[in-house]
This record gives sequence, C-alpha cells and structure tokens, in this order.
Amino acid sequence: MIEQPEAQPPAAQTIEPTIKLENASRWFGNLVAVSDISFSVSPGITGLLGPNGAGKSTILQMVAGFLQPSSGSVRVRGQSPWRNDKLYRYTGLVPEREAIYPFLTGYEFVLLNARLHKLPNPKEATVRAVRMVDMEEAQHRATGGYSKGMKQRLKLAAALVHNPLLLLLDEPFNGVDPAQRLHMMGVLRDLAAEGRTIVFSSHILEEVERLADGVLVIVSGRLAASGDFHRIRRLMTDRPHAFVIRSSDNRRLAAALIEVQSVKGVELIDGGLSVRASDFGAFALAVPPVARDAGVTLYEFVPADQSLESVFSYLVNR
Amino acid sequence: MNWEVFVLSLRQLLGRRRMFALIALALLPLLIALVFRTGNSETDPVDWTANALLNGLIVTTLLPLVTLVLSTTSLGMEIEDGTIMYLLSKPLPRGQVIMAKLAASWLPAGVLVALSTALSGLIALEGSGDSTLILAFVVSSILGALAYSALFLFLSLLTTRALIVGLIYVFIWEGVVTELFAGTRILSIRQYTLGVGDLLTQTTELDAHLGGPMALTLMLAVTSAVVALAIRRLNRFESRSLF
Repeated sequence: MIEQPEAQPPAAQTIEPTIKLENASRWFGNLVAVSDISFSVSPGITGLLGPNGAGKSTILQMVAGFLQPSSGSVRVRGQSPWRNDKLYRYTGLVPEREAIYPFLTGYEFVLLNARLHKLPNPKEATVRAVRMVDMEEAQHRATGGYSKGMKQRLKLAAALVHNPLLLLLDEPFNGVDPAQRLHMMGVLRDLAAEGRTIVFSSHILEEVERLADGVLVIVSGRLAASGDFHRIRRLMTDRPHAFVIRSSDNRRLAAALIEVQSVKGVELIDGGLSVRASDFGAFALAVPPVARDAGVTLYEFVPADQSLESVFSYLVNR
Repeated sequence: MNWEVFVLSLRQLLGRRRMFALIALALLPLLIALVFRTGNSETDPVDWTANALLNGLIVTTLLPLVTLVLSTTSLGMEIEDGTIMYLLSKPLPRGQVIMAKLAASWLPAGVLVALSTALSGLIALEGSGDSTLILAFVVSSILGALAYSALFLFLSLLTTRALIVGLIYVFIWEGVVTELFAGTRILSIRQYTLGVGDLLTQTTELDAHLGGPMALTLMLAVTSAVVALAIRRLNRFESRSLF
C-alpha cells in the first residue's frame, strides 16, 4: 500500500487537470523545440509519442520545472513548476539518461532520494520502493555494475520513493528486457489505478499501445494528434499507404491493379511500380490473385512508408 | 547546508585516483623543503620558506590547483553526466546544494593544503625563525581554499570548460597580469591569501602586496559575492540534457 504525501498542495482540491499546457513554446536560439502546444493531462497513463528529436523531452523538462517555457504557460496542479521546488514533493522523475552515482549501491541511491525528500521514515520507504521494482536481490551491489535495465528500474524506485502523485518518465523502457518491461508496466498500471498521473515518452508505438490510456503525438515540436489511443491508431491505419512492387511485367500488372477498389494511383517507376492504396490490409490481400490472373510473377512487394516518421508526418499534414 | 548532499559530494570527490593525484601534488612541497634543508645552507631559511616555499609554491601553485580540481568536479561532473537532476528535483532550496558542494570541495582542499603547508614549513624552518609564519599560512591557505573553491564552483555553473577557464585565471591573470599591473591585484585570491598570511605573521621577509585588513576584507567580500552569484545561477539553471 502506498502512503500519501503528508499534505496536499492547495491546487489538489480544485478540479484542474494535473498538467496543463497553454500555447507553450520553447526555443533555443533559432531552434524551435516545442511550438505552441496546448493540452491537459488528468490522472491515468498518458503516452507522449513521437520520433526522436520531436520535442518530447523538452515538454517533459518544462513540466518538470527544468526548462522555462519561452512563451505560453505550463501548469502542474495549478502551479507553475518553474523555480517551484515545493512541487517536487508531488512529482517523481525518471530521466532517460542512464547516469546514477556509480559508487552508491542501489539501496543507498534510493535511500538518498528518500532522505533528500525529507521523508519521516526514509529506510522504510526505500525498502518499499525497491520491492516495487523487484530489485531486492541486486540492491546491495554498486550501481556502477548494473545493466541498463536494472538502472531503469532503480531510477523508477528512486522516483517512487516519496509516493508522487505525478510521475514523469522519459523513454523508461529503453534497454529493459521483455520480462522487466512487463513488470514495470504492471507497476505503472497499479499506480495509475490508485489515481496517480503518469506521463511517459516513447518513440515506439507498441509500448504506448500496451500501456497508455491517452496519447499525445508530438512531431517536430507540434502536437500532431491527441486523445484515445485507438482513435489515433485508426487514423494511422486508414491513411493512404505507398507500396513498391517489382514483377515480371510491370506494365501489365499496373493495368490490372488500377481495377482494384483500394488502389488510388499507380505509377511506373524505374524497374517497378509505385502504388498508392487506401486500405493496407485489403490491398495486400488483393495483389497476389490479381497478379496471378494477369499472368504476372511478383518479385518484390514492399510497403514504402512504414517508418514511424512517415506515419507521424501524415498525422501532422492531414 | 544539506548534509546528504555534502556526504554524497565528499564520496564523489574522494575517488581513489583523484585523491592519489592530489596527495602526490601536496607531497611535492615536503619533498622540496627536504631538498632545501639537506642542500643549500647559505640561504636564509625564513626568507626561503616565506617567499619560495609558502608564497611561490604553495599559495601560487598547490592551493589553486587542488581547489580547481575539486571544485570544478564537485558540480561540473554532476551537470555533465546529468546526476544533478537527482538533487535539483527535490524540495530543497538550491542554496543548500551550493553550500553543501562548497563545503565538500573546501574540506579536502583545505586539509590537504594546510597539512602540506604545516609539514613543509616545519621541515624548511627546522625549529628556526618565526613560529607564527607557518601558523599564519595554514590559516590563510585555508581561507584561500574557501575563496578559490567558491570561485571555481561558480565557474563550473557558467561553463563546461571551467577547468580551462580556472587555469587561465590562475596562471594568466594571477600569474602574469597582476604582476604587471598593480591595480589588478585587488582581484586576485592569491594576493588576498598572501595579505592575510602577512597580517597574521610577525615575519618581515614576506613580500605581500596587499595590506592585511584590506586583503581579508576583499577575500570575504569576493567569496560572499561569488557564493551569492552561484546560488542565483543554480536557481535559474536550465539544461536541455537533464532528462
């Protein structure tokens, strides 16, 4: 059972969302890292999804109070997190960076965090947090010898030691093996079920799909889509898809494919065909019989734009 | 000052390799004093101890180098590898972090330099001359270590190249510029340290350029100002790479 912080900040009694960004932007010189983003996050698990360099970490750092927005506002429980160290009583942070003091044991590291939070019983809180992330066996070894996955779990324990109401995690599953990932996801789900707000960033669609209730898709510093994961997943699936096909007779195959209902366009390219289709699944099923009926042998059939970046670009430009 | 941050920082700084190198550096004056005692007997030991050993070697070289290494590591390393995030994400006034970091870098620097001063001074004088000379330099080098530590700590918040900037300050500004232009000596921790040493000793052989009370006042003022600036800087500290 998780013990609650001793006192609630005044904003806890309001109905405001845990996190609220209003037209928040952040730039570094000429580089715009985050551009005019507005969203709010309430208790539950929210995934911040986007390709590397999209601005996810900058958003998390603004919410964590490590970066001041260049314009707009960032509020956490109704307060600005910038230069507001009292908010850290309610916030836990799991950074992407691996560095942990290598000379400390896992237990000492979590205990240090408990003591810095001035918890009334830091040792008890440490034991509980270490147990939560299943690190009891390795807790008395120096962290310098930990694997990446163990460090990720230890950072989660350190972030949880004061039972935060808001947990921010930057790419928390990087380097974590599948069993550890499942366990971490279970811990996060349990915390969310207790009414905590959890925001994590990821560039991997499947991670977000498995864990998040709500999704914020960030591309090039802008909010590309937000809301229920399944709605966004549908948007991603229903977008036009491009394929490259190489066959024994590209011209004859092009004529046959244009008759297929899901095909939106066919273009002869060097040594093959470029086909645009509206329905990924229907088109993939239609191609082999069409080719067979036309007497054409298929050599290659490749989706041309399946990278996450192209999916994100579609969401931005739609 | 936060005790947890102080202990953590001490453990960070007292790594085996770094301390081995600093202890070796602190042993150098002892070795040179030993060579002096066993060799040249015509030079006045008090004059040599005051100007060559204490001023020339300890205050000019050992003191700034030891404090530079410890102070720039104390915060600089944490900023570089991102572990500072674990200190800054706590309900802890950042002034307490600065004071703990300062204390953690000052303590080993002060102990090393004070021990090196006392032992090498005792070897060089071998019971002769003014006994207040060694005590005066033990005290002034401890105060000098505080001033240097504060300055270099502040530098590590300003730039990732604090070690290089610190070396430029020590060897170009203090070593060359203040020797050429007397007016610049009011901005030299080395001159403050010498002035305070001169204030506390009855030895007349020491060549200090600043008067004792002025040196002490400037040392305390500059140290306080630099600590205040460091706290202000950490309060407004932003980093794109903390997460």
